[in-house]
Amino acid sequence: MTIVEPDRTTYTGTRVRRTEDPRLLAGRGQYVDDVTVPKMIEAAVLRSPLAHARITGIDVSRARELPGVFDVITGRDLAAVAGEQPVIWFPIPDQRIARTHALAVDRVRWVGQAVAAVVAVNRYVAEDALELIEVDYEPLPVVADLDAALAPDAPKLYDDWPDNVSGSLTYTAGDAEAAFAEADVVVRERFTHGRAFGCPLEPRGCIVEWDDFAGTVDVHLSTQSPNLARDLLSEVLGVPVHKIRVRTPNLGGGFGNKFDFYGEEVIAAVLSRRTGRPVKLIEDRLDSFVATSHSRDQRLDFEMALRNDGTILGLRGISYGVLGGALGTVGAGPPWASVLTCMGPYKIPNLDVTVKAVVTNRSPYGSYRGWGVPKGNIVHERLIEIAARELGMDRAAIRRKNFPAPEEFPFFSGVAFTYDSGDYAACLDLAMTKVDELGWRNRQTAARAEGRSLGIGYSFHVEPSAYGPSRILNLVGLAHSGFDEVTVRMDSIGKVTVYSGQINMGQGTHTIYAQLAADGLGIPMEDVVVVTGDTDSCPYTGYGTGGSRAAPLGGAAILRATERLQAKILRVAAELLEASPDDLQIEKGVISVKGTTSRSVTTRDVGDAAYRRLLNKMPESEMPTLEEVDVFDPPNMATSYGCTALLVEVDRGTGAVTLLDCLQAHDCGTVINPMLVDGQLAGGLAQALGGALLEELVYDEEGQLRTASFMDYLLPTAMEIPPFHFFHQETPAPDIPGGIKGVGEAGTIAGVSLVASAVDDALSDLGVTVTRFPITPPRLLDLIQAARTPTGQAHTEEDAR
Amino acid sequence: MTELASESTAQRDTLSITVTVNGHAYTADCEPRVTLADFLRHTCGLTGTHLGCEHGVCGACTVLVDGRSARACLTLAVQADGATITTVEGLATGNTLNPLQEAFWDNHGLQCGFCTPGMLMTATELLADNPDPDAAEVRECLSGNLCRCTGYDSIVRSVLDAARRMRG
Repeated sequence: MTIVEPDRTTYTGTRVRRTEDPRLLAGRGQYVDDVTVPKMIEAAVLRSPLAHARITGIDVSRARELPGVFDVITGRDLAAVAGEQPVIWFPIPDQRIARTHALAVDRVRWVGQAVAAVVAVNRYVAEDALELIEVDYEPLPVVADLDAALAPDAPKLYDDWPDNVSGSLTYTAGDAEAAFAEADVVVRERFTHGRAFGCPLEPRGCIVEWDDFAGTVDVHLSTQSPNLARDLLSEVLGVPVHKIRVRTPNLGGGFGNKFDFYGEEVIAAVLSRRTGRPVKLIEDRLDSFVATSHSRDQRLDFEMALRNDGTILGLRGISYGVLGGALGTVGAGPPWASVLTCMGPYKIPNLDVTVKAVVTNRSPYGSYRGWGVPKGNIVHERLIEIAARELGMDRAAIRRKNFPAPEEFPFFSGVAFTYDSGDYAACLDLAMTKVDELGWRNRQTAARAEGRSLGIGYSFHVEPSAYGPSRILNLVGLAHSGFDEVTVRMDSIGKVTVYSGQINMGQGTHTIYAQLAADGLGIPMEDVVVVTGDTDSCPYTGYGTGGSRAAPLGGAAILRATERLQAKILRVAAELLEASPDDLQIEKGVISVKGTTSRSVTTRDVGDAAYRRLLNKMPESEMPTLEEVDVFDPPNMATSYGCTALLVEVDRGTGAVTLLDCLQAHDCGTVINPMLVDGQLAGGLAQALGGALLEELVYDEEGQLRTASFMDYLLPTAMEIPPFHFFHQETPAPDIPGGIKGVGEAGTIAGVSLVASAVDDALSDLGVTVTRFPITPPRLLDLIQAARTPTGQAHTEEDAR
Repeated sequence: MTELASESTAQRDTLSITVTVNGHAYTADCEPRVTLADFLRHTCGLTGTHLGCEHGVCGACTVLVDGRSARACLTLAVQADGATITTVEGLATGNTLNPLQEAFWDNHGLQCGFCTPGMLMTATELLADNPDPDAAEVRECLSGNLCRCTGYDSIVRSVLDAARRMRG
């Protein structure tokens, strides 16, 4: 169903410049640390230097005495007035849920866990006071990594658990055992993805004012999910939802990291209640490395069974989620999502796939753009390429052989998702054609003649987007919803405000919502403003801004609301024009009788009739005002997809990988704004390329984080990221009004296996297979040396750690 | 905040400094440990200069000090005494964006906008020194500014487009 017909759209599908930009370019943006509230004081948090220890004593007396300090609290102070940190995802039945308070009470389970907090006149003094707090720790044995956690005699993080396994869940389809027994070829690998995080350039922050007399909590919070934050603050603080207001200023990037609900907002709330002052708590960059959700940390042991002709018969394996010392907001959600998506775009009739969530003495695991799907992509894209090599097949041919055909949609993947629509083979062909047009193969051939190692990599990805049908989300373990609500209001002079619960974190939501509303109503885009980021004035959104849902779900709700509002506008105009509403048209805000130009009214006239001078103008059957609310709860998700290609050069002497050029053929259904879609694709790819080559939160055997600054945790720069080229197909989403599919996570899903594919190709003569990420130069050098050593006496990959 | 801060800092040594920012002279008593970034943000009220790392890597706090780019997080305010500083707020004229800002707008050179002030200031210095850079020179110049949203390609195109516009 497409509500906005192509011939009626002025803005949808065009490269409209963003409405958000001028003030951001002028330095007038307002991010949370730019917000100042009268009487505000500033907090800082003391963090554990040990990965696992009992707290045997905390002395805050000297900190309290420092001039300028208002209050110092410990875990016991906080636990007296606040509950434990909430978890909202429970996909694994009977899972053991490890919860903690925002400040550790008697035991710490990761380096950086918050143990005390100070609030003072400013951050400088608060940090001075942190140095005066004395904490006595009794060290406990450290569970530093997955192997340590699963060892038979492993120390336990939670004394009342039998081991360190939080839970496990297996999905099956068909008969995997029989499929593997009858297969001509079985390929298997262990894939490891290191820890990484979204690392928005703006660290997290909040200002909380808990007025104990009014019973209200007023929050400025750098969050992607203000409605969820309000509900969770209510649970933790025991304050009713209607007395909590969450406002979100400009967000300096979110990437899932700011979807999660953190202890800092609770700490600030408790400090505010105790001091009677608004409290600002801004995470600094060093805090962020231990206190913002980590992600990606997984081991994936998988095998794929195939016939000699390349037909995939079965897939089985285990996804180990290396969780932290407590569960984050989304629990074991991302490693679970890897299992749901490990078959990717391929028809695999027999599946036996398991997620196993394991706790370790690392920071809690949480949301990061892609949310487990990038590792599902590693499984299917790496294994299918390894199988192609084994079978002597072309990489594209084996993929094409296993795609569902366009007429097979809606296509059930075998585990959870039903892919709504697509033409996967056409998308693959588009990417291959562009590789040729850009001359990559010629560059590769020429370089090889010079003794240089260029490789071309491919990754085909699916992106389940538009999260999601509320009842299905509840069914699979989400203690929250997935619908989206919007209010569209035309005012007394005929201008329009769209109110949404979605958050604008850089993806351009305000621009695309204005495009859709203007087209839906038939008015100029400059007549529309979009308001988000305030739970007191904006509607409810389930989930939050994540799961690639802002465009499809918010967009669909806007289209449905504007369709009804336009009908009312035409009914009022019909009264003014003494015509039938069915005979009217609206274009650029001017309403006239179809086929004539003589008589017309404008939305300004309609607004005046609906709000101010109703007599003889507003039909008596109509309710005054011009406003429509819509709630869209999707019947199914919308599955975007794409084929990405990458040209790399590998230096065999150093193991360094240089990214030369990158393209993506992509289908996200109806494209609202191609410039912004390209921006989403490019940004996601850059994050994935960083994750594939550079970024890793490295823990040592004592559970110490060794890469806790930008000197050691390497974000990609303009020198590392290649140019991008994007090409669009448009297969409309059948279950989403407007046909819109999500696009926010495409790049992060596609980009990691992509680099491995390109590196393998560059080193095809050696037969190297990349299985561990990030592909750092020492690790790749090790693989190269191992491949050159015929006896297998070379270092193993593990030695390169 | 200002009166509260003075309560607690009364016992600390302060220095009086005068800094000219975007053409306006600011004179204030300042603890020697206060960074230029905090001075600009808190004392001058110019919050367009952003703090992304406070250890001199991300470049979001880049400002021009006497025409040269500097990390405001690694510069002490007292070091800037007597200096002339340009921040992102000094680029537009009235409500008219300058050609560099316009080029970023046209080429989708920003998403969340957090790194953007630093990108603009770094690019301002580049284009003053080299009005006709190629893509490789732009990438090298911007390599000290981290962006987590755009993937850089659109920023590079923005700067190249700005250079074309400014050359006329």
